[in-house]
Amino acid sequence: MPVTPPPAPPAAEPAAPTPAHLEFKAAALLVAMLVLIVASTLYLLYARGAFERTQELTLITDDAEGVAVGMDMTFSGFPIGRVRRVDLVEDGKVRILVDIPVKDAHWLRETSVFVLARGLVGDTRLRAYSGVLTDPALPAGATRTVLRGDATTEVPKLVAAARELVDNLARLSAAESPLAQSLAHVQAATEKLNGPRGALGLVFGNDTDAQRVNDTLQRTQAALARLDGVLRRVDGVVARADEQVLGPQGLMRDVQAGVVQLRELLQASQDSLRKVDAVLEEARGIAGNVSGATTDLGALRAEVETSLRRIDHLIQEVNRRWPFKRDTQIQVP
Amino acid sequence: MRRGDATVYRRPARLLDLHGRPTASRLSCAMVRAGLPVDAGSAWGGAAVRWLAGWWRIVHLGALLAVLALSPTSYRADLHAKLARHLWLGTGPTVVWFTVASALAGLVLIRIVVVTAVSYGLTQYALEMVVRVLVLELIPLAAALFVALRYTLPQAAVLAQRRLRDVQLPALPDAATLRRDLLPRLLAGVFGVPTLAAASGVVALVIAYLMVYGFTPWGLPAYTRTVGHVFTPAVVLIFAFKTLFFSLTVSLIPIASAVYDAPGAGTLVVAELRALVRMFVLLLVIEAISLMGNYY
Repeated sequence: MPVTPPPAPPAAEPAAPTPAHLEFKAAALLVAMLVLIVASTLYLLYARGAFERTQELTLITDDAEGVAVGMDMTFSGFPIGRVRRVDLVEDGKVRILVDIPVKDAHWLRETSVFVLARGLVGDTRLRAYSGVLTDPALPAGATRTVLRGDATTEVPKLVAAARELVDNLARLSAAESPLAQSLAHVQAATEKLNGPRGALGLVFGNDTDAQRVNDTLQRTQAALARLDGVLRRVDGVVARADEQVLGPQGLMRDVQAGVVQLRELLQASQDSLRKVDAVLEEARGIAGNVSGATTDLGALRAEVETSLRRIDHLIQEVNRRWPFKRDTQIQVP
Repeated sequence: MRRGDATVYRRPARLLDLHGRPTASRLSCAMVRAGLPVDAGSAWGGAAVRWLAGWWRIVHLGALLAVLALSPTSYRADLHAKLARHLWLGTGPTVVWFTVASALAGLVLIRIVVVTAVSYGLTQYALEMVVRVLVLELIPLAAALFVALRYTLPQAAVLAQRRLRDVQLPALPDAATLRRDLLPRLLAGVFGVPTLAAASGVVALVIAYLMVYGFTPWGLPAYTRTVGHVFTPAVVLIFAFKTLFFSLTVSLIPIASAVYDAPGAGTLVVAELRALVRMFVLLLVIEAISLMGNYY
């Protein structure tokens, strides 16, 4: 097998020109890199809170799901603390140690409330609420219990309720469900309503009863026609009675004349009685002189009798003209 | 270790394993030359041994260069000029362009992420995502690749051509050669990657702030807090180690390929390709490990 001679090695490359001030540039590069790295490190340490004075707050909860070291604790949306440590204590609860920068610690008071909120979307949030900012400040190293506001715990209940609702809807909309049967009945009733018998066929369910109702209605109509005739006759009777009672020659006119006469008679009797009263007064005055007065007594008696007869006549006249009065007894005063 | 004392580092005439026995690849080659059949198993075994031996040589050279890098004698005054030259060549001409290019790419990426997050109502997560994706993941990888393409691979080609010209060079350079030729290139690469990554990272952080908050100082506390959230101690440690290993990878592997892959007819391109493949595989492995460390 022939051996191919190796190709001639390439000629030596000319040396690259040396940049000016090379060592200075290299030193500047080194210094720049050191400055960059030191500055970045200091910035990261500052960002991690390494240069802040902090005070400790211990939060106790029974479930620290979602709580991670380094997460923020917010107050009104602003981070004022950072979780430094999360561990499980002997009684099974979770202890969350939070570092609060001293410059932000004044937002926390003795009455502050701490809530661990877990939403449907996003991570867990640790929030602090201070209702009364004039309360005493929260001391360093304080221990508080965390309230939990967990939206995800409502999800199973919601799902169960939704499932129950869907089951109910499925039962309602099933072919054999009462709702479907009712709708079928409504449809059948509507068809009957639209049928030749209409609502009567729907109400009675058979044609015989519906025909019977039709016949009854017709008879009722005939009876109403007859009743109309009777009512017309009654109207005639009433008109005649009205003529006799309230007409020009009716009873009411006589009654009015009788009432006028009665008023005159009563006036006359009232005058007579007034005279009798005067006579009696005189009789009482002369009772002591009976002997002297007996001569006038006959005339007086005759006059009284005359008056009584007139009254009696008047009463009889009233009783004759006024048929409703039955008590005819007259009491003499 | 004196200059010219090459016996310590000279590669043996035959490839031996750790116990001094001929390796399987050498055995296989001898069997092929002798016309003996070589079964597939022994061929696979030979390839595996060659693969392992290749990586071992890289690790070995890296260890030697690390020892030299930590040795004060490597920073004598007569080496300052060479160190400074490679330090500047490896970083100086590239840092500005890389920072500008990464700023432009970061601008586009940050804009896309922020606009998308705002449209989905997830603004509070946009900044964190930008910092994680851009500063922690993309910029170090881009810096490593940029240094590899602009400096270490061309320098490895220079070394390989030099070895191609001088076939009498020992398989493993002596200590003086290591100090004079290899160590400055390695240090330049190791220095260049973190520098580029740091400069571009800072610029990306500034651009992210400006894109989210605009030209106002009132977003700085919230922004600083978000950055503090992202850069936990574990993340910073992983970031630092990842950048360091990236820089070692892109610096050492091309040099090792130039040194160890035997110079000969047509092997220059093969050596460069092999260096590229090894480098990309190792970068991928480091990135995967860092992702696992950060997010698992």
